[in-house]
Amino acid sequence: MKLHPLTVPYRTGVGVLKYGVLFAFLMFGGGEATPASAGAIAFLALALVAVIGGWHTAYYNRFDYELTAGTFDVSSGVVSRRSREIPLERVQNVDVRENFLHRILGIAQLNLETAGGSVTEANLKYVGAAEARELQEEIRRRKRRQQTAEQGETEVDVEVEGDVLYEISERELFLVSVFSIDLRLIAAVLFIASLVPPDRFEAVDDVMVPEVVALPALALAVAVAFVLWLIGFVTTFTRFYDFRLTRRDDTLMYERGLFNRYSGSIPLNKVQTVSFQDNVLKRLFGYSTLAVDTAGYSPSQAAETGSEVAVPLAKFPRVLSLANEVEEFGDLDLRKPPKRARRRYVVRYSLVAAAVTLAFYAVNELYTPVRLWYLPLAFLPLTPVAAHLKWRNRGYEEKDDYLVTRNGFWSRTAVIVPYYRVQNVMSSSTILQRRWWLATLTVDTAGTSLVSSNNGRAVDYDLSDVDGMRERVHDELQESLTTKRLEHERSAWTPPEAADFDRTEVDQDIEGDDEVTVDGTEADAVAEEAEEPSDTEPDDDEEANGRGTASEDVDRTESVDEEDEESR
Amino acid sequence: MELQSLHPRIRSVWLAVAFLGAVVLTSVLGGALAVYTEFEEAAAIFFFVLLSLFGVYQWKRYSVWGFEVREDNVYLRYGVLVRVQKVVPFVRIQHIDSRRSPVERATGLASLVIYTAGSRGADVRIPGLLPEQADELREELKDLAIEDETRRDDAV
Repeated sequence: MKLHPLTVPYRTGVGVLKYGVLFAFLMFGGGEATPASAGAIAFLALALVAVIGGWHTAYYNRFDYELTAGTFDVSSGVVSRRSREIPLERVQNVDVRENFLHRILGIAQLNLETAGGSVTEANLKYVGAAEARELQEEIRRRKRRQQTAEQGETEVDVEVEGDVLYEISERELFLVSVFSIDLRLIAAVLFIASLVPPDRFEAVDDVMVPEVVALPALALAVAVAFVLWLIGFVTTFTRFYDFRLTRRDDTLMYERGLFNRYSGSIPLNKVQTVSFQDNVLKRLFGYSTLAVDTAGYSPSQAAETGSEVAVPLAKFPRVLSLANEVEEFGDLDLRKPPKRARRRYVVRYSLVAAAVTLAFYAVNELYTPVRLWYLPLAFLPLTPVAAHLKWRNRGYEEKDDYLVTRNGFWSRTAVIVPYYRVQNVMSSSTILQRRWWLATLTVDTAGTSLVSSNNGRAVDYDLSDVDGMRERVHDELQESLTTKRLEHERSAWTPPEAADFDRTEVDQDIEGDDEVTVDGTEADAVAEEAEEPSDTEPDDDEEANGRGTASEDVDRTESVDEEDEESR
Repeated sequence: MELQSLHPRIRSVWLAVAFLGAVVLTSVLGGALAVYTEFEEAAAIFFFVLLSLFGVYQWKRYSVWGFEVREDNVYLRYGVLVRVQKVVPFVRIQHIDSRRSPVERATGLASLVIYTAGSRGADVRIPGLLPEQADELREELKDLAIEDETRRDDAV
């Protein structure tokens, strides 16, 4: 299949504009154009159009994609050729993006993400808008068919119309945009404004600074905060405009955007973590945001698209029930850190306030007058409150199949991690934590969330408790893997021919390692008998050995998912 | 398997690093310090303070470091200022490298790097191994990882 024919003129136009501006800037940035150079300019412009147009024509001619039964194939490249086959079962997300111009032209960009790698695995620029949605839908359908075939079901039912799980209301859209402001910003601006003496602005006024700056510092700060909030409002508003989340079979599909339309798919069986994100304002009004993390995006991509948001804003009970659609974890009942953690925060904040005061005092004495340099001391009586809030919002809970952690007051995130998704577990304690006999538990998944710094961390729990937590989480992981394995074997005995379906050859280097692992598998099946883990079901090993080669292949491909990760 | 310490030779390497660090910092800041404080021995004192700080740190670093190949995971303990205890399940091991940097080759040591698919702290490095020990460990972990994977399902 070829790309949309409008691709060439569109990309040429964009390229010419981009480089044209650059050239113009380089050539005339310093002086004025002389009439004599008019011919040269015209020639250069033509040359630019020819070169860029030629490149994109060649790109267009060389680009070819095809959706087969089990893979998505792309061959591309003008100078160096590349052909790539992406097994559909490995696909994490399928996104369709259109900006304003695309929508006028009726074209769209289609992205396919697999786990691992910092770039999008297949990037179709551009296909027809209808074609893009068709592909997105068809990929989902074929994946579904593969899965059902793998589970040995002959009946393949593919839902065409999904259930709409969530549709943003006008009220919610407005509120989520209002709530986009970070209250810390206002606090910081006010704080800084109160420190600067008013006369400093008047002093600069003589030196050609616009009058706005001469306003009293407080008014200025308010204005800055307002502008920032307005920017946040508009960004959020256009991003979540007409947001809709639907569920079709085992895939969540969402659409959003005012000018730039995004549409993406999140396969439920690829979900790594689910999280609730709510800042102070949202909590005040009882709202929350639901985000779903898959392993598809690299952190920078996630920052750019914000695509992991599954529900921009809804009342908490509703968000909770929607989250349970994704992962059935039930309700939250979090345990707070020990009370001495709160005391630790009081000490910490007091020390910070003291240090800042000292710094201000030093500046005031040595360099320039700082109005209210003792102001940070006013925070001293507030430190117990701040410490309490920080402490109160931390939480940790071990559920049957999930681990839940929560952190943050200003912007609070509760992360639900299925044990099944845990990659590694660690406990750590800084010197200062050890003084209070406290430690932090960090649970890592393959997800690439924006909030990863807070992701799956139980901070400031009892040092000896954390040791136990670490081992328990690990044991739960092992147990969940065994359970999944057994479930899989019981429900999915696959006929040999269906197994071949998954063994599609792939050009990615990842696959090379896979082969090695498969070769090793049979040799090691013997060694398996020797060592039996204590937490495994007794009949597990027998089953594993008795399965024979045909189903061995299927199980391998089930687990190859992880191999995609290693290119990261 | 008991908790294993690193090869003692890595401690000497780390102590040498401490010494070099103190030398470098002193040569950068020591002179200025002597001039500023108008006290000739300042640089020397500075050097010995640094040396003892770094030395204690590296000594402690060696004594804390330990690893253990357990039944279904690798357990590691390290860190002086931030004490870390990490559990890497065999199933989650993506691949394993044994490595030898120029310094390691000169001192006859090697290190082992274990990769998982996690987003942070995904790579785990065990320094201060003998080359044959590193290779052995690599093979052992590889076998255990494959064995574990055939026994259990895994997921990303």
